[in-house]
Amino acid sequence: MVSGQWPVAWNRKQSSVVGGQSAVRGRRLYLAIVSLALIAAACHSNRQSPADNKTIVDELGHTVRVPQHPQRIVSLAPSITEILFDIGAADRIAGVTSYCDYPPEALNKERVGDTLKPNIEKIVAMKTDLVIISTSSQLETSFRRLEELQVPVYISNPRTVDQVIESIDKIGDLVDASKEARDATQRIRSRVAAVEARVAGSPRPPVLVLLGTEPLITIGAASFINDLIERAGGRSISADDKADYPQYSVETVIAKQPEIILLQTGSSELGERLRQTPAARSNKVFHIDDDLLLRPGPRLIDGLEQIAAKFHPDLFQAENARKQ
Amino acid sequence: MKRRSFTGDRLSVRRLAIVLGLLVVLLTAVFVVSITIGSERVGLLDTVRVVTSKLTGQLANVALEKQIIITDIRLPRVLMAIVVGAALAVAGSAYQALLRNPLADPGILGISSGAALGAITATVFAESLPISRPVAAFVGAVITIGIVYALGQGGERTGSERLILAGVIMNALLSSIVIFLVTTASGARQRNVLSWLIGDLSGEPALLIPVALFVVSGIGVVYANARSLNLMMVGEDDALALGVEARRVKIAVYLAASLLTGAAVAVSGAIGFVGLIVPHAVRLVGGSDNRLVVPAAALVGSSFLMIADTIARTIVAPRELNIGVITSLVGAPIFVYLLRRSN
Repeated sequence: MVSGQWPVAWNRKQSSVVGGQSAVRGRRLYLAIVSLALIAAACHSNRQSPADNKTIVDELGHTVRVPQHPQRIVSLAPSITEILFDIGAADRIAGVTSYCDYPPEALNKERVGDTLKPNIEKIVAMKTDLVIISTSSQLETSFRRLEELQVPVYISNPRTVDQVIESIDKIGDLVDASKEARDATQRIRSRVAAVEARVAGSPRPPVLVLLGTEPLITIGAASFINDLIERAGGRSISADDKADYPQYSVETVIAKQPEIILLQTGSSELGERLRQTPAARSNKVFHIDDDLLLRPGPRLIDGLEQIAAKFHPDLFQAENARKQ
Repeated sequence: MKRRSFTGDRLSVRRLAIVLGLLVVLLTAVFVVSITIGSERVGLLDTVRVVTSKLTGQLANVALEKQIIITDIRLPRVLMAIVVGAALAVAGSAYQALLRNPLADPGILGISSGAALGAITATVFAESLPISRPVAAFVGAVITIGIVYALGQGGERTGSERLILAGVIMNALLSSIVIFLVTTASGARQRNVLSWLIGDLSGEPALLIPVALFVVSGIGVVYANARSLNLMMVGEDDALALGVEARRVKIAVYLAASLLTGAAVAVSGAIGFVGLIVPHAVRLVGGSDNRLVVPAAALVGSSFLMIADTIARTIVAPRELNIGVITSLVGAPIFVYLLRRSN
C-alpha cells in the first residue's frame, strides 16, 4: 500500500459501509471468545486449577502462590540445583543455569542462561510453574519481570549456616518433598554439631578469606561464609564490615595479622604484600574448592569440615591423615 | 602575557626555577601527608621513625606490622601514585599541544581504554611475563590514538567536537571488549572490570621500577620537544617556516605520550580526567609555554593523584574506593566548564 493513501480508505469505510456493522460486531465477539479461551488455556497450563495452589512466604517475605506439587521447576542458582537434587526433586527440574555443574546429571538439564541474565522468554515458553532464585547468586532483578508474567518466584536468602539448613527445609515444603528435605537437613545438622563439638574450647585463629586479589575482595558480616568460619572454629578478620563482599584495605589486613588465609582454587598465588602476614610466614595459605565454600547448599557442610581441619589440624589428625 | 609566553624565549630560568621549586615543596608536603594517613593509624612519630630507620639502616623501635604497613604497603602505593600522576598529566599536555585541542585527555579520547585492552590481552596471553603488560598497553594506546585521529580529521570543520565524538565511540567500543575479556578469559579475572575501566591503585607494585623508567623517558622525550611544541601550537605551517621538523616532532611526541599512557594504565587502569585538569590548572597559573607546562604538570599531576588516592584509601576505611571515582568527581565538572568556555 502506498503511504498516504490508507487514511482516506479508512475514512471511507467508516462513513459508507453501514450494512457491514453487524458483521464487524460479530467478528469482535468471535475474537473475544477466542482470546478468552486462549487466556483460560494459558492459565490452565500454568496451574492445574486454582484450588490446587498453596501459599508460601519466601525468605524475603514475599507471598508466593505455587502449585501443590510443582512439576516444571527452574533453578536459577547452582546451590538451588544441588538442593533440588539432594531432596529427590531432580526429575521435576525443567531448567538450570549455565553454572549448575553439580551433581554431574545437572549438566543434562536444559540451560536457561546464567545466574545474572536468565532468559525470561525461555522460562515462560517452558511453561515453568516455579522459579527459585538465590540472593547468593544474583540480585533478585529478574524477580519483578517474572512476577509480571505470572510465573511464581521463590527467593532464597540464606545469611547464616542455620539459614542455609532452614532454606533446604523450606524448599522441601515448597516443592512437596518435605520428608526428603527433613532427612537431608537432619544429616547436615548432625555433621555441623560434630564439627562444633570438636572445635569447642579451642582458640579461634584470625582468618582472611580472599575472593579477589586486585583489588582485595573479602567477606563481611552479612555473608554466610562469615558464619561458616565461626562454626569451623575460626574468626574472620573482616567480620566488623557490615556488607557481604567488601573491597578491603591491604594495610588493615596486615594490621589484623591473619594466621590463616583461604584462597579460591585456581586463583593466583598471594602477592608480595600479603606474604608479610603471619599466615604466609607459617605456610597457612590454603586453596579451598570455592564450590564448597561459596554455594549455600548441601555441600556447604563438606566445606565446613575441610576448613575446620585447616584451622585446627591437631583436632582433625585422623581425617587429615586419611586424605594423604 | 599569553602571547609572549607562546613565542618562546621570554621564559626566564629564574621564573622556571621558582615555579618548579614551589611545586617540589608542594609534592613533598603531600607525600608526607599521604604516607602518614591510611585506614590503619600508625601516627606521625612512628612513621618518621620507620622512614628514618629505612634511610639510616638502623632498627626502628616500632611494631613489625606498622613497619610493614609503611614500607611495604603505603610507600610503594604512594610512589605509584607519583609515577602514574606524572605520566597522565604529561600525556594530557602532550595530546593537547599536538591536537591543538584543549579537551584532549587520554581518558576522554579513548586512549586509556585502548591501553587497558592491550594490558588485558597481555595478561591473558602472557600472564607469567608482567613486563609485557605496559608494552602491550603502549601498543594499544598507539593504535587507538591513530584511529581517533583519523576519525577526528576530515570534513570541512575539524573541531573539538569531532575528535571528542571519535573518543566517545572508541571508549564505548573498547570498554565493551574489556568487559568481554575480563568476564570470559580466566587469566584476566585477577583484576576486576571496574579496576580496569575507572582505575585503581591498590594492585601489586611489582612493576613500580620498570614503569617509573618508562615514565621518566617518556617525560624526557616530551620535554625535549617542548619548544617545538610551542611553535606547533601556533600553527604547523608557521612552525615549519621557523625550522621545526613538524612530522618528526609529532611522531616522537605521540609515541612518548602513548608510552606514558600505556605505562600508567598497565599498573592502575584507566584513571580519568588527570590529563585534562592538571595541564589546565598549570596553564591557568603559569601560562602555556610547554617548557614550563610539561615539568609543572608532572609535579602537579603527582600531587593531585596522591591526594586523590589518599581520599580513596581512607574515606570509607577499612573499605576502599577506586581512585577513578575521586578523579572523575573532580574532573567531570571541570570538563563541562572547559567545554562551555571553548565554544
